Amino acid sequence: MVTFENVSKEYPDGTVAVQNLNLEIEKGELVVLIGPSGCGKTTSLKMINRLEEPTSGTIYVDGKDISSTNPVALRRSIGYVIQQIGLFPHMSIEENIAIVAKLHKWKKNKMAKRVDELLILAGLTPPSKYKYRLPDQLSGGQQQRIGVLRALAVEPNVVLMDEPFGALDPISRESLQNELIDLQQRLKKTIVFVTHDIDEALKLADKIVIMRQGKVVQAGTPAEIQAKPVNKFVADFIGQERLASVGADSPVYVIMEDAPLVVTPDIDAQLVLEQIEDLGRESAQIVDKSGRWLGMAQLPQVKRAARQGAKVKQAAVAGRKLYIEEAVLSDAAEMLIDADLPIPIVDETNKFVGLVTSNGIAKLTISRLNKQKKMQEQAQLAADGADKKGVS
Amino acid sequence: MYSLGIQSLSEKFLEFWVNFFTYVSANYMKILYLTWEHIYISGIALLLTVIICIPTGIYITRNEKLAPYVIGFANICQTIPSLALLGMLISVVGIGDKNAIIALTLYALLPVLQNTYTGIKNVPKSATEAGRGVGMTEFQILKMVELPLARPVIIAGIRVASVWIIGTATLAAAIGGGGLGSLIFSGLSFIRNDIIFAGALPATTLALSIDYGLKKLQEAMSPKRRAARLNKLAENKAKDSNNQKEMEMDA
Ligand SMILES: Nc1ncnc2c1ncn2[C@@H]1O[C@H](COP(=O)(O)OP(=O)(O)OP(=O)(O)O)[C@@H](O)[C@H]1O
Ligand SMILES: [Mg+2]
Repeated sequence: MVTFENVSKEYPDGTVAVQNLNLEIEKGELVVLIGPSGCGKTTSLKMINRLEEPTSGTIYVDGKDISSTNPVALRRSIGYVIQQIGLFPHMSIEENIAIVAKLHKWKKNKMAKRVDELLILAGLTPPSKYKYRLPDQLSGGQQQRIGVLRALAVEPNVVLMDEPFGALDPISRESLQNELIDLQQRLKKTIVFVTHDIDEALKLADKIVIMRQGKVVQAGTPAEIQAKPVNKFVADFIGQERLASVGADSPVYVIMEDAPLVVTPDIDAQLVLEQIEDLGRESAQIVDKSGRWLGMAQLPQVKRAARQGAKVKQAAVAGRKLYIEEAVLSDAAEMLIDADLPIPIVDETNKFVGLVTSNGIAKLTISRLNKQKKMQEQAQLAADGADKKGVS
Repeated sequence: MYSLGIQSLSEKFLEFWVNFFTYVSANYMKILYLTWEHIYISGIALLLTVIICIPTGIYITRNEKLAPYVIGFANICQTIPSLALLGMLISVVGIGDKNAIIALTLYALLPVLQNTYTGIKNVPKSATEAGRGVGMTEFQILKMVELPLARPVIIAGIRVASVWIIGTATLAAAIGGGGLGSLIFSGLSFIRNDIIFAGALPATTLALSIDYGLKKLQEAMSPKRRAARLNKLAENKAKDSNNQKEMEMDA
């Protein structure tokens, strides 16, 4: 579907961004380009829809040499998710999504229906809530989703995605990745996907192309690459990036509990005591009506307040907390080593966001160990397979 | 002495207003006519400025090398004292409206040209790249991306130009161009403040109101307001269709 034949690109200032690239992307395949910053991923992508012209070599899309096609028609037939999102700041979300359809001169009704459909697909419901906003009235992650929707709007056969999930938090990223996998299984588009994140690559790719300084270092299925990295660069790249994905300096929200016990300050301590015991917790968070965190009430203090017939705010202790914007896992770990009590997480306006407990850290550790084990098994399996092929 | 001074001052002030109102009530048809003439001269000059400067401004964003010369020319036109410019043009086009309109147009080139140029140059590259990426032609990028994003800056330039033109158009009377300037000039020659004021007041009001009008226009066209309007429209539509459903149910 997309073929690079000895393609090189030198920018006018002498930067060689891509060197002698050969790549065959089959129809319905999702190929991930990955590599360090500046290795030529974006440039390779832009040459496919002629936003950049190769200095030498030929690119074929659907069997046709694209240097002889009309660039405008070519771009309209290829979906493109831009690295810096690139929404039109003066157009509403609806107009942004519909722009390609508009260039294709779709009927208004059909366009409006399609926009609603896509917004629902991306979980931006109800569509009427988002359609008439401007891009800067959405969060960064939502904007990025709109960028993806815009590229998919007219169901092009080839879609180029340049770090489409880069600005998302881990949770939405994960859910969009799953959606993409779903979509890909149903629609079988040819997708060229650029990312920095090796986990994302391993999860999504039919084929991974690892690039370095404008050259392909290794290309193959995720299993092949994990089993037989061709050199130390690839091995390091897979290994390091993987460990880096969750580490001591990851933000605390990756291990935040999502359903801590929250009570208002003026309830009787007796009631809170019952709730704590029913749920098998050790503490309750005291949060006022506007969401501001007033303190944590631990089981012994709640018991005492209950005996005195006092309100729960009597039992509150407010010193222990971490700020979501700046706290990382190692901060949380240190606090938990000092005293094994839950840590409330608040934002800069002291709004309660969630709770981190030693339980969360334990879960994280176990899941990482499991993942490592699974990877080793997979790699072993793939290596065995490759060996067998070699023999026969 | 002192109190006498104040008294005579306030007497003078009173006298001025009496004279002013007498003059205006006796000559309001003439003032109206001159105001119309003023609007006519300024309007055509402003229209010409816009017609010349916006395309030229766009053109020089595509041909950067020309930009300093074109903007330099507009700058010179703006720097020549306007009275001198009018005088020099007499030898080319003679006296009258035409001369005044050409002079005013030349005089006001700079703000519109400069703002069109910088407005388009300052459109974020990510937006034009995105336009190209989704398959817009160069003309569509200009129409759908660059001009709408540069619009506030361009309209700001037109506002400056319109105030300059209306103010300077008072000088047109000096070369037989008519307009409210002729009141000011006759006021000057008769040393009659009330007549000067009868010309200056409508000219100032005119300048302020067009400035205000353009500002409101700009605000109404801002993306935020437009998005809010679209939203309202959709809400009303939803309400209507709901009402209709209810009515059908009732029936
Ligand atoms: N328009 C340009 N003119 C000159 N050099 C450029 C231009 N665009 C990119 N480059 C250079 O070409 C090289 C490859 O850039 P490219 O944008 O393709 O990298 P990338 O792999 O997408 O990086 P990142 O992961 O940071 O997005 C870099 O050295 C970059 O500085
Ligand atoms: Mg890039």
